[in-house]
Amino acid sequence: MNRRSFLSLSTASAAALLATAGMGLAGFFRFLYPGVFYEPARRFKVGYPADFPPGQPVFLPTEKVYLFHDPAKGFSAASAVCTHLGCTVQWSERDRQFDCPCHGSVFAADGAVLRGPAPRPLTWLEVTLSKDGQLQINKNRPVTDAYHLLIPA
Amino acid sequence: MLKSILRSIFRGDPPSTQKGRSELVFYNLWLHIHPAKVRKEHLKLRHTGYLGFVSFFLLLILGATGLALMFYYHPYPPRAYQDMKDLQFVVFLGPFLRNMHRWAAQLLVVAVFLHLCRVFYAGAYKEPRQFNWVVGVLLLFLVLTLSFTGYLLPWDQKAFWAITVGTNIVASAPLVGPVVKVLLLGGHSLGIQALLRFYVLHVAVLPGLAAALVMVHLWRIRKDGGLAPSPSGPREPSAPPRETPIPSSPEKSYGLMGIVTGKPTFEVLVPEEEEAVFSYPYAFLREGAAFLATSAAVMALALLYNAPLSEVADPSKTPNPAKAPWYFLGVQELVSHSPALSGILLPSLLVLALLFLPYYDGNPSRRPRDRVLALSLFALVVLSYLVLLLIGLYFRGAGWAWVWPWAKGAGGGA
Amino acid sequence: MRDRARLVFFLLSLANMVLLGLALARAARPGWAAYQRSYHRLEAQSEPNAAAKAAVEGAPVAIAQIILPGLQRVDRCTTCHQGVENPAMKGAPEPFSYHPDISRHPPSRFGCTICHGGQGLATDLAAAHGRVAHWHQPLLPREYVRASCGQCHTKGDVPGVPELAEGRRLFDTHGCRGCHRLRGVGGTIGPDLSREGATRRDPAWLERHFLDPRAVSPNSVMPNFHFTPGQAKDLTYYMLSLTGEEMSNYYTSESVIPSIPYGRELFARKNCITCHSIGGVGGKSGPDLEGVTRRHSARWLDEHFVNPTLVSPGSTMPAYDLTSDERTALIRFMAVATDKDAEALLAGGAKALTPEEAAVEAGARAFVHYGCVGCHGQGAAGGVANPNSQGGQVPSLIHVADDYKKSEVMAIIRDGKTPPLADPAMPAPPLTMPSWKGTVNEEDLHNIVEYLWSLKPRGEGSRW
Repeated sequence: MNRRSFLSLSTASAAALLATAGMGLAGFFRFLYPGVFYEPARRFKVGYPADFPPGQPVFLPTEKVYLFHDPAKGFSAASAVCTHLGCTVQWSERDRQFDCPCHGSVFAADGAVLRGPAPRPLTWLEVTLSKDGQLQINKNRPVTDAYHLLIPA
Repeated sequence: MLKSILRSIFRGDPPSTQKGRSELVFYNLWLHIHPAKVRKEHLKLRHTGYLGFVSFFLLLILGATGLALMFYYHPYPPRAYQDMKDLQFVVFLGPFLRNMHRWAAQLLVVAVFLHLCRVFYAGAYKEPRQFNWVVGVLLLFLVLTLSFTGYLLPWDQKAFWAITVGTNIVASAPLVGPVVKVLLLGGHSLGIQALLRFYVLHVAVLPGLAAALVMVHLWRIRKDGGLAPSPSGPREPSAPPRETPIPSSPEKSYGLMGIVTGKPTFEVLVPEEEEAVFSYPYAFLREGAAFLATSAAVMALALLYNAPLSEVADPSKTPNPAKAPWYFLGVQELVSHSPALSGILLPSLLVLALLFLPYYDGNPSRRPRDRVLALSLFALVVLSYLVLLLIGLYFRGAGWAWVWPWAKGAGGGA
Repeated sequence: MRDRARLVFFLLSLANMVLLGLALARAARPGWAAYQRSYHRLEAQSEPNAAAKAAVEGAPVAIAQIILPGLQRVDRCTTCHQGVENPAMKGAPEPFSYHPDISRHPPSRFGCTICHGGQGLATDLAAAHGRVAHWHQPLLPREYVRASCGQCHTKGDVPGVPELAEGRRLFDTHGCRGCHRLRGVGGTIGPDLSREGATRRDPAWLERHFLDPRAVSPNSVMPNFHFTPGQAKDLTYYMLSLTGEEMSNYYTSESVIPSIPYGRELFARKNCITCHSIGGVGGKSGPDLEGVTRRHSARWLDEHFVNPTLVSPGSTMPAYDLTSDERTALIRFMAVATDKDAEALLAGGAKALTPEEAAVEAGARAFVHYGCVGCHGQGAAGGVANPNSQGGQVPSLIHVADDYKKSEVMAIIRDGKTPPLADPAMPAPPLTMPSWKGTVNEEDLHNIVEYLWSLKPRGEGSRW
């Protein structure tokens, strides 16, 4: 073997080892990314529309979502997670506003920030009708506060 | 810029010169355990089989894969079992990493055992390496204990009952047995507490101890004068001269290079320059190859064979026969005859005999033909254990009754 | 030396790269992903325009799992069975078809494996269907899935699963408890059946066993009850429902389904017909019940059951201790009951009882409930083989009043008895009288003895 093939052998070994290390590292990070999530589903069914007559919003504690039913506009859902530091906001029916217990942020019924320190309005989530006729909320699909699901009577 | 960064990391001369090759070793934390030069003879596969390296690399693989598995493991039944299923079914590379960990552990038991046999055959435990033999034997037991504690973690039937059998072997020891069992299990039988204890032992206490002992083991190889020469070769000079003056230099009061250039120990160990080569690249290339071969073997096994997992542990239902991990089956076979005498006394005597071997073996020669008695005795003990192990593995069925492995429905395997 | 070492090193580097690459390739192509993609394609077919089709087809794939803390399980079946809740998938090829009638038991609350069996955690076909080594809960064959209803619906009738109620009735009337323990009550001669459905999840084995115990279990001491194939199937359903599953309140709260057959059963058990008539047939001390549900609202009837005198002053009907489901079941039964039902009930032997007769009646029920009939036979007539006991059979109890005092019989029931051996050289008889202390309470004990004393044939004088 001459010096040239010698060097190329070293280079090839180094390349193979680098590739192996790269694959190993990529594989390890892919390994760390959970294959399943042990947490409430991001897309979930809440029940049939008839179960939620218009009136006070219904709080879904597991998913931390408020479900609204406006007689004229239809269904809408707001995430109860404060946009400041992630505490769960509480609906006050008397003032028709959301209060955050942690740092005193206040949100209007449409989610807009009335009082700091929250930087953004509450997140509104997509509400759809699933194939079997149940209301379905998708946390992966944020929408504007104008979004409503109106179910014709 | 790049050059100066590299220079700051690798401080010696480039490895194109002899000085550079030495400095590459001296100035590197990870490499300086090596001598700058090694005997050609020691690099030969047949001299050591690279069994020490293989064991060390298996430990590294076990550490890496074990650390990864810890991200998905809860030491709490029955969640622990569900975690095994998750690794198998939903974690990316989960089955591969669990298989690697499992097969590397099994290979390690084999590798350290062969390593011990090789060192015994070479008589390498004799003066001046007596203490390193003791460290090695302790490491063997650590490896067995690591394997034993890890065996429980999947929390399946096989694990549960193998460890139940194993800890009851411990409990049959006179006087301290029952207390040790309670300490080990955190209770009188295997349960939530035992799983947590085995987990802590397996991932923290034992690996820590093993790491410390491995460091001592490797460091002592250098301090005891490197690898032992071939047993059939010329006799090693008994001890390096002690009264070697350490030359001082203007900048440093102490320098390794000073010792080497002053040729105090090196000269003694490598009398003929042509018998030695520089560690870089000759030794490193071979060590690297040994590592790559080890990891390739483990990966190939992991791709081909899945680590076993039986039903979730059920304390109310004992599988028949309940067998200890395979390497303890020899002891289980002995215990089945008489728990106190052959189960505890005999193995304990064996352990003590192994541990203190260098101190009562007065024969100074390392040549096989001068050590017929020692070698025959050792072979006898090893073979007897292997026979007992094979009996436990293949010839014992329900109720630990004798079965022929080829008979229908024989309960082989562990 | 150096060249060869470098070549070996290179080849080994290559081997490592290839092996790791193989591992990654295997991990990157899980079988379930292919199923999900074909489901997406199936879904896309019904989308109106190309853009929507592309969006549905390109939807990301991920393992779906239903976490069910109340059932202590995690089900990933919907990873492949994506269409179970999508009515549009009616008739779609497996594994995508719609699950009919699923709204009462939504997968989000019940998962799949609690009824169907299989391995919920698994994501490949063989393992998920549980047909692999080391998994004791394979998918139940389709015709036996309904047996799983009995895990929660432990009482009364389950609509659509008559086998369960019948299996349960057979179990109670054939004295199975005499030898078998079930939820803490019963004998110890045979195995405890509290988890039989989980440990022996094999309908074929169970059915054959009921037809002839020794056909599948040669050393069984269980007598052959000569069940019909239909009865064997009913009992198999019942056994499969006994999984000993620990469930949270959510699942056990609706254990009784207020169905019409259950209402009928209650109507018979509470002896309503002794006071009430239906269509003119039956007792006359209470009002006729035909059309009662048209005369009164369901709410009125319900409240009347709880407190008759409050709703209907002057009523002489006693207040029965009925659960809400039981009241609903009775009201549903009354809505459809006719004089034919009344005649059938009267033929079943409902009549007013004296305290003595009541004790005998209760004793007869207890004799069946605790499984005494399993060994001592229907009507305590004996006849069950017990090799190497004196007479070779479990003794008849019809003449027990002649040979024992009541206190002696009570002592035998409390403490048990080992039958004397016919031939001391032969092995002991398989059946022994277990000790019932702690299982049979004093009242039942007393009633059983009264029942046994009532068996002595009338007109036959004492032996003395």
